[in-house]
Amino acid sequence: MALDREQKEEAEVLLMGNEAIARGALEAGVRVAAGYPGTPSSEIIETLSRSSETGKLYVEWSTNEKVAMEVAAAASFAGLRSLCVMKQNGVNVASDFLLHLTGSGTRGGMVLVACDDPGALSSANEGESRHFARLMEIPLIEPADFQEAKEMTRWAFDLSEQIRNIVMVRSVTRMSHASGNVVLGTLPALEGKAEFLCDGPLSDPERGPVVSAPVMAKHRLQQEKLRKAIALFEKSPFNAYSGPEKPELLIITSSACTLYSREAVSRLHAEERAGILKLGTTWPLPPMLLKRHLRKTQKVLIVEEVLPFLEDHVKILAAEQAREIGIKTFYGKNDGALPTVGELNPDLVADAVGRILGIDPPAIPAEYGEKLRRLTEFLPKRDQTFCPGCPHRASYWGIREALQRDHRGGFVCGDIGCYAMATLSQAAGFHTAKTLHAMGSGTGIASGFGKLGPFGMTQPVLAVCGDSTFYHAAIPALINAIHQRADMTFIVLDNGGTAMTGFQSHPGLDVNAMGEAAPMVDIAAICGAMGVPVTIEDPFDLIGTRETLNRLLEEPGVKILILKQSCALSPEKKGKKRFLMRVDDTLCRGEACGCNRLCTRIFRCPGLLWNRERKRAEIDEVICAGCGFCAGICPAGAIRSEEAAKP
Amino acid sequence: MRVNLVKDPYNIVITGVGGQGNVMASRVLSNMLVRKGFKVTIGETFGMSQRGGSVMSHIRVSSASVWSPQIPKGAADLIVALEPIEAIRVLAGYGNPSVKVVVNLRPIYPVGVITGEEEYPSAETIRATVTALAAEARFLAATEEAIRLGNPILGNIIMIGAVAGLGVLPIDREIFERVIRDGMPAARVEGNLRAFAIGEASVALKSPPSQ
Amino acid sequence: MQQQRRDPTEKGDGRRGQNELEEQVLRAGLCTGCGACVNICPYQAIHHDRTVTLHACDLAQGRCYACCPQTPADLSDLRRKLYGKTDCTPELGPMKGFFIARAADEGLRQGAQHGGTVTTLVTLALREGLIDAAVLAGEGEGLLPRSVTITDAKVAAKMGKSRFVVSPTVAEFNRVCRGDAAKIGVVATPCQAVALAKMRTQPVSEVESGIEKLHLVVGLFCGWALSWQKLAALLKAKTDLAQVTGMDIPPSRYHTLEVYTRGETIRVSLDEVTPCVREACHSCDDMTAEFSDLSVGSARLPEGWETARSWNQVIVRTQRGMDLLELARRRGVLEFREPPAENLQKLKAAALGKKKAAASRSKYLNSTANVEETDGFGS
Repeated sequence: MALDREQKEEAEVLLMGNEAIARGALEAGVRVAAGYPGTPSSEIIETLSRSSETGKLYVEWSTNEKVAMEVAAAASFAGLRSLCVMKQNGVNVASDFLLHLTGSGTRGGMVLVACDDPGALSSANEGESRHFARLMEIPLIEPADFQEAKEMTRWAFDLSEQIRNIVMVRSVTRMSHASGNVVLGTLPALEGKAEFLCDGPLSDPERGPVVSAPVMAKHRLQQEKLRKAIALFEKSPFNAYSGPEKPELLIITSSACTLYSREAVSRLHAEERAGILKLGTTWPLPPMLLKRHLRKTQKVLIVEEVLPFLEDHVKILAAEQAREIGIKTFYGKNDGALPTVGELNPDLVADAVGRILGIDPPAIPAEYGEKLRRLTEFLPKRDQTFCPGCPHRASYWGIREALQRDHRGGFVCGDIGCYAMATLSQAAGFHTAKTLHAMGSGTGIASGFGKLGPFGMTQPVLAVCGDSTFYHAAIPALINAIHQRADMTFIVLDNGGTAMTGFQSHPGLDVNAMGEAAPMVDIAAICGAMGVPVTIEDPFDLIGTRETLNRLLEEPGVKILILKQSCALSPEKKGKKRFLMRVDDTLCRGEACGCNRLCTRIFRCPGLLWNRERKRAEIDEVICAGCGFCAGICPAGAIRSEEAAKP
Repeated sequence: MRVNLVKDPYNIVITGVGGQGNVMASRVLSNMLVRKGFKVTIGETFGMSQRGGSVMSHIRVSSASVWSPQIPKGAADLIVALEPIEAIRVLAGYGNPSVKVVVNLRPIYPVGVITGEEEYPSAETIRATVTALAAEARFLAATEEAIRLGNPILGNIIMIGAVAGLGVLPIDREIFERVIRDGMPAARVEGNLRAFAIGEASVALKSPPSQ
Repeated sequence: MQQQRRDPTEKGDGRRGQNELEEQVLRAGLCTGCGACVNICPYQAIHHDRTVTLHACDLAQGRCYACCPQTPADLSDLRRKLYGKTDCTPELGPMKGFFIARAADEGLRQGAQHGGTVTTLVTLALREGLIDAAVLAGEGEGLLPRSVTITDAKVAAKMGKSRFVVSPTVAEFNRVCRGDAAKIGVVATPCQAVALAKMRTQPVSEVESGIEKLHLVVGLFCGWALSWQKLAALLKAKTDLAQVTGMDIPPSRYHTLEVYTRGETIRVSLDEVTPCVREACHSCDDMTAEFSDLSVGSARLPEGWETARSWNQVIVRTQRGMDLLELARRRGVLEFREPPAENLQKLKAAALGKKKAAASRSKYLNSTANVEETDGFGS
């Protein structure tokens, strides 16, 4: 996506936050990078994969975040610099390994980049990875602009090598997916042989086995490392104060909130009254630095997303230092100055600062503002939906028809991927999907539902799972369901890639993250090896899919159905129409009894339009992807498809 | 060499619907500005939002510093809408009496309109509403022009051409061509240049302000 | 009597839609499974023998409601429109004649359930070009009949078995009447015949219905039909469903359902069978398919069951029905015998019994007449 990816050193270019992070890793001489796709983190590995070079830089999309962290850790154990990348909930997945890794320590510089999503702009949660830094007792640093994203990432490798432990860099959506000017630095020559030195005693962190035992000794060592990090943080240029010597209000902030805070102060013209302490090293906090700045004033506002992490730790330090710095009045999350859910923005921060300092934020003229307020009244909202030509729409259509026919109140346990939209927007999934949690959880939940028959549950249970999700976390749950004889129908919505995050490769494909040929690990073969018969259908074959499903729903135990059809945005399909669609006006029944606009009212593909004047359905040729599925649902045969000429 | 901005930071919102090339448009425009020596911050989200939802890129252009990737409410200087009702949606949040608006008139109907639950405002209503709220409003048939060029996605570049034609930013065809040549396969350069020229000309032809 | 089938406060104008169909029929357990609401639109479907709603249709009025045999309708008006001045008995509906008949072809009789009259009439109508397609119940899987359309008289000759589970015959008619067939005959249960009658008299949609292609309705006497799900569950415990070749109910003194399998005959007490009867059948007051051209059922004769089971009783209701029967007589494909004097009275008593039972909405089959004179439908 970056137009200036291959720029020379010292050039000032526009980079996305994620690209800046990737560039920082490259400038640090990273040799191994692994991750699992997840918005807003995916572009980091994508950028690195474009820079990968056999024998110099290895990049992979791992099956899940825990595996990614393990793969990266191995490189560190072998003395190389390594990076693992994931979104916030990916850290939860990796956390079991992380707990042990932080105990064992690392060798080559190892950095974890976690990209959080305050406001859940592209997530089913707004969980925070920052808390793991404290839980796992590792250093946490947070960039506040794009240049810093690069510099901090580069420095994180140095820090990791200095303390011999993993370092966490935390980004947020508004940093990872925002872009700005970055001055590029030097790319080092990539050298250094991979060798795992393991012939020393257990107590030797440099040559011994890498293990978190003996636990007390290693734990003590880990805490020493953290104290070493604090000492470095005290002098870090990533922590900076700007503002008057004696501000009325001290704002302590980090990450994208730094930009919101600056803008808020600027909008309120409060530069003479409020100072901003921008922290780059947010765990553990450097106490001397904090003491210096807390002394400046009595009022302190902490601006952060989402929960009061910084706030709690600043308060602890302030309490410890109260004798020297005096009693403070704190504003932030706990007093309600800022919300504890959702992301922040310059307006929310300006409101908070304005309330504390008694300044009204700038307002637009009242009369004009009133006109703006009236605008929303006549604006149709724009709900998210499946793309035109999306196989998930067809899959859920088949599932809906099968469940309605089955008539026992069956439901779908949803999972993470584009098909999660069926749960988030009930109309998009035709009101079939009823649960949505973590990756692979749909299968585990269905396994549990599938054992409730003896307690009177008669509803058939389905789980859906994407192809990438299958490898990530569904396999253990599926094995469980089979072994426990749960009654459930397991459906793989196989659209040939990690579609939601931008079509990254996964083990089911014949290519890896670096574009090299890779062996395919076949989903049907895995399922078959579990001892359950597997049926494969094309969701665009509505009748075949529905009849298979109805048959499976009536059978006991675990049944597996793979619905295979490529994503409409997949490289082989994008921009190419298989069919040219049109509506035959003479056949279209429109609103009459006998149709009542099934295609536009119920099926709701964005490629279809309802012409209110002519009272006929139409195809929007610009939007229609030419998949042809709607021709099969039209009760009058009015939607016609014609094979498009091959380009 | 750098020309001063009419306002610093100069705040641009590029809006549209997922799949219209919103991100590409913001990237192209921002790259032109970075090459002209400005500090540019783009704020955008992608992921679920691209699935038929409204998408917005916030672009902050400054001579000196990085700004928040989110423009404060009511603080847009220029709104570029690849889809007409998205122009109004963004006006509702970021409009002010001095905002300039460039609108592509081709609607992309939301699901609620396709289903008949909601009504899409008429072209006249959209024009009148935008015109009443903007200091300057321009309306283009960018998608239709792009279809004539052979690919509806080029509507986004026509809109960028229109922004250049407005004359509010120090960008021109020459810097556009440099950015495009560096960032795109050679085969696509010509189409993009033609699209840019169409957009630039369609705005330059009319004498502002409209109506 | 029985001019209004349902709540007399309901207006029988059919101006209601899927919502009311759901509420008053489907969710109320009153669906007969006739298939009238299926294949006219994409919203209803039959799965096994159950009518289901696939998606919500928000139209205020629809054919699904208007043509459902279970929604309110002014039947006397319907009867006037379809039968004009034909004599109408309160118990048996319009009647031009009453006959005892059977197929002359003994082979055909053996393949059919009773006298083979229905099969003979359908075969004849096809062969003579009175109809070019016949919609009737055929073999399905696991006790579940399937509705089929026959255009070849030779095939029709093989389809004469009684069905104890309803088949979605009107749904099949709805499908076929949009195809090439020009003159369609339907072998219909009483509820299916009512649905067809409502379709003929209550056009609701501007979408062409194809009902004008309906040229013959052969009605079947029917006491009740069984719910497939319940019957399958009952019989699964006793035999392999795939082995079942047919079923019958001998006269009431045996009080059993005979299930014929490839190996043996299984006798199931009616006490076990009656709970499997479709809920809708308990409130049905039409035993003899009053809205047909002619209706056919099993016979009862003084010589006893073994003789009676090879004959049918036939009520002719329209001139078209009479013409067909007379043609059969002329062609020698049907044999006739004089109805015993008391037969018509007994049939009337049985039909009246069903009407009374329906009126009292009796939950259980306690009327001997129901079982004695009729079985599941079929010829």
